[in-house]
Amino acid sequence: MTLALILQFTRQDLVDRYAGSLLGGLWTFIQPLVNMLVFILVFSQLMGARLPAFSGSGRFSYSIYLVAGLLGWIAFASTLTRTTTVFIDKAHLITKVRLSLWWLPLFVVLSDSIIFLISAGFFLGFLLLIEHPITARFLWIPLIFVVQQSFAYALGLVLAILGVFLRDIRELVTVVLQLWFWLTPIVYVFSIIPEALQPRMQLNPMFPVIDAYHSVVLFNAHPQPLGLIVLVVLTALLFALGRWLFVRLERDIRDLI
Amino acid sequence: MIEAIGLTKTFKLYRSPSDRLLESLLRKPRHRRYIALDEVSFAVEPGETLGILGRNGAGKSTLLKLLMGVLLPDRGELRLSGKLTGLLELGTGFDTSLTGLQNIERNGRLLGMSGQEIADRRAEIIAFSELGDYIGEPLRTYSSGMTMRLAFAIAIHADPACFLVDEALSVGDAHFQQKCIRRIKQFRDQGGSLIFVSHDLNAVKVLCDRAIVLERGRVVAAGTPDAAVNAYNRIIADLDEDAPLQASVDEAVGGYGNRALELIGGELCGEVSGADLVSAGEPVSVCLRIKAQQRIEDFTLGILIRDRFGQDVFGTNSYFLGQPLTASAGERLTVELCFPMNLAPGKYTLTAALHSAHNHLQDCYHWCDNLLRFEVAGIIGPVFYGIARLEPRMRVYPGGHGPQPPSEDETRAISA
Repeated sequence: MTLALILQFTRQDLVDRYAGSLLGGLWTFIQPLVNMLVFILVFSQLMGARLPAFSGSGRFSYSIYLVAGLLGWIAFASTLTRTTTVFIDKAHLITKVRLSLWWLPLFVVLSDSIIFLISAGFFLGFLLLIEHPITARFLWIPLIFVVQQSFAYALGLVLAILGVFLRDIRELVTVVLQLWFWLTPIVYVFSIIPEALQPRMQLNPMFPVIDAYHSVVLFNAHPQPLGLIVLVVLTALLFALGRWLFVRLERDIRDLI
Repeated sequence: MIEAIGLTKTFKLYRSPSDRLLESLLRKPRHRRYIALDEVSFAVEPGETLGILGRNGAGKSTLLKLLMGVLLPDRGELRLSGKLTGLLELGTGFDTSLTGLQNIERNGRLLGMSGQEIADRRAEIIAFSELGDYIGEPLRTYSSGMTMRLAFAIAIHADPACFLVDEALSVGDAHFQQKCIRRIKQFRDQGGSLIFVSHDLNAVKVLCDRAIVLERGRVVAAGTPDAAVNAYNRIIADLDEDAPLQASVDEAVGGYGNRALELIGGELCGEVSGADLVSAGEPVSVCLRIKAQQRIEDFTLGILIRDRFGQDVFGTNSYFLGQPLTASAGERLTVELCFPMNLAPGKYTLTAALHSAHNHLQDCYHWCDNLLRFEVAGIIGPVFYGIARLEPRMRVYPGGHGPQPPSEDETRAISA
């Protein structure tokens, strides 16, 4: 399985699905743009939400907080959901052509990452527009993002392998992601959580990721390294588990699909 | 070059997919085992064609999937030199909303072509597919024949070292089929290895250098195509022993058609034996009973005799025989056909049909496949070989000359 083939799957995922429509690949940009506008306008203008911890950018502060965390989360959630079902979704190809099941899900990661890049581009444009400070600390963002997507890929692979045998996993992931979203401080601020609960909330593997985005974008600070390092280790363990399962189960996966 | 050494593939049958997971992880058996392939070995040299014969369920598909790498064997080894492309994946990944050109890119990549290769062969592919300007149109506007032509054109230009050909070769019209076969032969002449899987025994004999026969996952015969075809025939004949003879039917429940006319029964009877077991050369009478639901003018009754391979042996109908048939509403008719059963001993089926005009494409009233089953056993008259008795006359001419055209004198005498 070549890189070219993975890139082709990515392309199909992003562009070809709009084949025959007038705007074609432009739709890939329209969706994130509209998302962004809704978050920013609804939460700044209509709801007029303010973030007490941060007042630098005035009325847009909550919008910035929300979008900074949400963009990363959307990429993560989408990658995880779609990786989990990738073998079943692509069964019509897997049963016909020799494809590496181990590398196949990479196209999902790439495709969601590109959508993230587009969204992040719009977001940066917006930050420039309202003259929000953009500093060298923003260079942390790609790194945080790579950590996050690797985690999604590793976890997704494990779930994808198991999901071939237990179709319930697909539904389970959807439900769990919903809960997971609300257990992660994206919409709300971490400080409103009762202090007794805070240490437990930090056990959430996505907490350091979202927290890192907030630190960089809103507070112009370096991210907390410890949580991210733990996440990298966890990701490595998940890859090892995935590999172990894959070697044992690849034959059965192919039989069953 | 393709080399398979002791390929074994079993499928485990589970009550539920989760049982399979539990077993894989806990190593405690929770399945019934089904052996699809058992120690299958063969080799195909460059430039050689191997035929694979076998009944449905004998393991052909499993073997092809192992060869293509979409299934993994339990045991055994598979050595391939270079890329293997099969016609099984014909048109894989085609997207009907994309144009022919875009689909060349898409399908070509899946078949393992690089971007450069696709660019180099694009013109050839388009020319071979004979799609012309349609290549820029979305695939959904193509007829199924056009789609298959494009798919085949891409597959054959993917430059594999080994090529798997199966029934999918029956794409398009006769002209395109012949072109495909020419191209496949060319591929073989250039040193490509070919594996040909088919029920078409004749094609196997014509195209293959060697053939193997699969039965219940095992190679039960391997050798020349002729020997393999014979072995395959034996296997099929065994199967047919199970089907009961049925030379008389009172109720033709099966079949298809609009039933404006219905076959309600029929029988085949030997005039000497008076029974359904007839001898070769014996005059037989086939009686078919028809019931008309409405008045039908000028319909046709046809029969078709097939041998145990399903090969059409002989067919005729009332149109060919110059016997117009008409029935009024509610009328019952019995039509008798008498002929000497000049067929070799063996088991046969008789298919009967009622339709309009001289073919069944306009109006098919009732078509009954294998309405009757009968057996020819023993030979009346001179013994013969082969499937049909042609009843030659034999003359002996003394001297060195056989029968000659009439001399000029005789010709003149005739014309005068």
